[in-house]
Amino acid sequence: MRAMTEEQQVPVPAVRKREPWQTGYWGPTDPDEHPAVIAVRQRFPEAFEQAVNFRDEMTIRVKREALREVVAFLRDHPELRYNHLTDLTAVDMLNLRDEPRFDVVVQLYSIPRRQRLRVKCGVNDGETVPSLVPLFAGANWLERECYDMFGIVFEGHPDLRRILLPDDWDEGHPLRKDYPLRGYRDYVQPGFERPAPRVRGSLPRPRP
Amino acid sequence: MIDFTQPTPVLLSEERQITETRRELVLNMGPQHPSTHGVLRVRLTLEGEMVVACDPVIGYLHRGVEKLGESHRYAQIVPWTDRTDYVAAPSNNLGYVLAVEKLCGIEAPERAQYWRMIMAELARIASHLVWLGTHALDIGALSVSLYTFRDRELILDIFERFCGARLTTNMMEIGGFSRQIPPELPEMVRDFCRYLPKAIREYEDLLTENPIWLARTKGVGVVEPEVAINYSLTGACLRGSGVNYDVRKAMPYLLYDRIDFEVPLGTHGDVYDRYLVRVEEMRQSIRIIEQCLDQVPADGPLMAYESNYVIPPHERVMTTAEDMQRHFIWVIKGFSPPKGEVYHAVEHSKGELGYYIVSDGSPIPYRMRIRSPDFVNLQSLPYMAQGAMLADVVALIGTIDIVLGSVDR
Amino acid sequence: MGLTAEEQLQRNIFVTSVDWVFNWARRSSLWWLQFGLACCAIEMISAAMPRFDLAERFGMLYRASPRQADLMIVAGTVTKKMAPVVRQLYDQMADPKWVISMGSCANVGGPFDTYAVVQGVDQVIPVDIYVPGCPPLPEALYYGVLELQNRVIRYDSIKKKHGADAAEADRQAQREAARAALGPRR
Repeated sequence: MRAMTEEQQVPVPAVRKREPWQTGYWGPTDPDEHPAVIAVRQRFPEAFEQAVNFRDEMTIRVKREALREVVAFLRDHPELRYNHLTDLTAVDMLNLRDEPRFDVVVQLYSIPRRQRLRVKCGVNDGETVPSLVPLFAGANWLERECYDMFGIVFEGHPDLRRILLPDDWDEGHPLRKDYPLRGYRDYVQPGFERPAPRVRGSLPRPRP
Repeated sequence: MIDFTQPTPVLLSEERQITETRRELVLNMGPQHPSTHGVLRVRLTLEGEMVVACDPVIGYLHRGVEKLGESHRYAQIVPWTDRTDYVAAPSNNLGYVLAVEKLCGIEAPERAQYWRMIMAELARIASHLVWLGTHALDIGALSVSLYTFRDRELILDIFERFCGARLTTNMMEIGGFSRQIPPELPEMVRDFCRYLPKAIREYEDLLTENPIWLARTKGVGVVEPEVAINYSLTGACLRGSGVNYDVRKAMPYLLYDRIDFEVPLGTHGDVYDRYLVRVEEMRQSIRIIEQCLDQVPADGPLMAYESNYVIPPHERVMTTAEDMQRHFIWVIKGFSPPKGEVYHAVEHSKGELGYYIVSDGSPIPYRMRIRSPDFVNLQSLPYMAQGAMLADVVALIGTIDIVLGSVDR
Repeated sequence: MGLTAEEQLQRNIFVTSVDWVFNWARRSSLWWLQFGLACCAIEMISAAMPRFDLAERFGMLYRASPRQADLMIVAGTVTKKMAPVVRQLYDQMADPKWVISMGSCANVGGPFDTYAVVQGVDQVIPVDIYVPGCPPLPEALYYGVLELQNRVIRYDSIKKKHGADAAEADRQAQREAARAALGPRR
């Protein structure tokens, strides 16, 4: 068994446990004291939009064009070192606001500092988001899934195609809010003239 | 299904001549294949026995759990979390339930938290037993699976005694447990903890020093620590490369900060090290369960009470008017958490399982995202398979420890 | 050969139809296709493993190749992406072949009434036995296998000679009769 490397032996700051959800794993709760927020605001004054704290979780909202630079800055900054891309996903904000339609949500984690951070950017339908694959190889499938489910195009992705749904899927992107849960049509077996009746056939499907 | 890239020698363009001299072969493995652990399909480009390129094709079990989560109330979603990763269902319950509790700002009672830890660790052992059995079966050691599935039945007995189901348990609820702990359950768990170390020794006798096992696993699928971090690996795939990241230690949830246990780390980052890490994790899980059983209060509430987010207990519903109203609203309308978004991660048996929930203040989640560990881990398969032999691909798929329900969701 | 019927019986000769003998042998050696889809596959593996021992008790054996299998246990959710594959596997199996639909997902779609899931594997392939449960216990799978054995012993190979279409239409009629007997669905 290998001993921990020097980089990983940074002592963990003692956490004062106040409430079950206030654990300090996301850094200081005040955005003005959070080192990542300060650093990003200094480095990217135009791209930085907002820093929100909810349930101790720090969210930085940046402009779409600067997403890759911000994440690269957070990864390479010697005191921040958010070197683990935990998750990349999107939220369809259709029912909550007009513009922009989607939020691309990037969850970052710093293995040496044991701290999380969330970076968001808004994107409209038809716009592109800079891909994070040049920074993290792990972003590859996450972005493909995002494209598959929401139709968000990531610029610079090496291999952007559907991942979960079939390649010939023509019903759109299912996690959008205007897509019905049951889809638009039933499965019809090719070669069956008269498909078996739907057993739970009481729920009509909407027309596309 | 074999597809020769050079089907006919009649029309030879320049590119085709090149492929003919390289003699590449595209081999389709799956989705019905005994060693892909379900319905994974891998498109392999081979040059002789060597793998040149490898393209996993997933989605054959995509069932739309995230979309279902956006159309049902918070308390209704728990059964679907079982079915995403069905070999360790209580861990999935735990991740979802903790995320919703964080969103609502409530906390389960201490006794319920200890029992949650016990059940999650039992689920981890059950998952590792399935993994060990099938992984060894793929590599050619048939008998190990007979032993591991024999011992896994003991865990399923505990689950069945506690909640009535063997596999898809649906045992945790927002705020704690709604069921009582059966009086003989602690003794069942203790019996199992006394039994399992002997069984693990048995598996290790079969595998750890086995020359065939060593030949098939040592030096295969090496992932360097930097590459592992870059590929966002978590769980034993990351710790097998020597990076110390375990959510239970890094950001303790539940009461893991009161428990004394170790995080095993690998040295070389190959298949063999990940095997050692997972076997050691089973021993550490036994340690955790034993400490939990020592520390857990013998009686006390299992369900949080002082909030509108949790269904009130039955006897109070029948006796007080306020609780009857609360119960009515909880059942008819559901509860409405505050607006906001949370991400909560737990250490699943396969890695970091995260639930990201966006709430718009209605009783239905606006967005429920499952960050499943094996979906992210699986994308390192092309990296591991580069230059490997064809027979090693089976070992590599096994070592990532995928469950396709969790990969595709 | 001047043997009377009485003497023939003493030599353990018995008279029956060819179908019955073949079906008797088929019934006790159903080889099933090793093919798991989702959660039910884990219960199917558990049923085949030491405690429940489905394989040894019923003369069953799992085969990885559809060419060598008699029985397909559809264990789990059939998605729209997987359905053509299931159909192809069914077509690759040699006659006579039977299908057990294991679990709610394969029966009717189960809890996954979504855009990606086929609502019942009987929209893709003909099914002989439905085993309910989510997932079914191994004992339930036992019961399904025993019911299937009762069906295998009645298998009529002459009828099969009319062609696969006629046999499938026959099964379809049986299914619809069973559904009609259950009454209208809510």
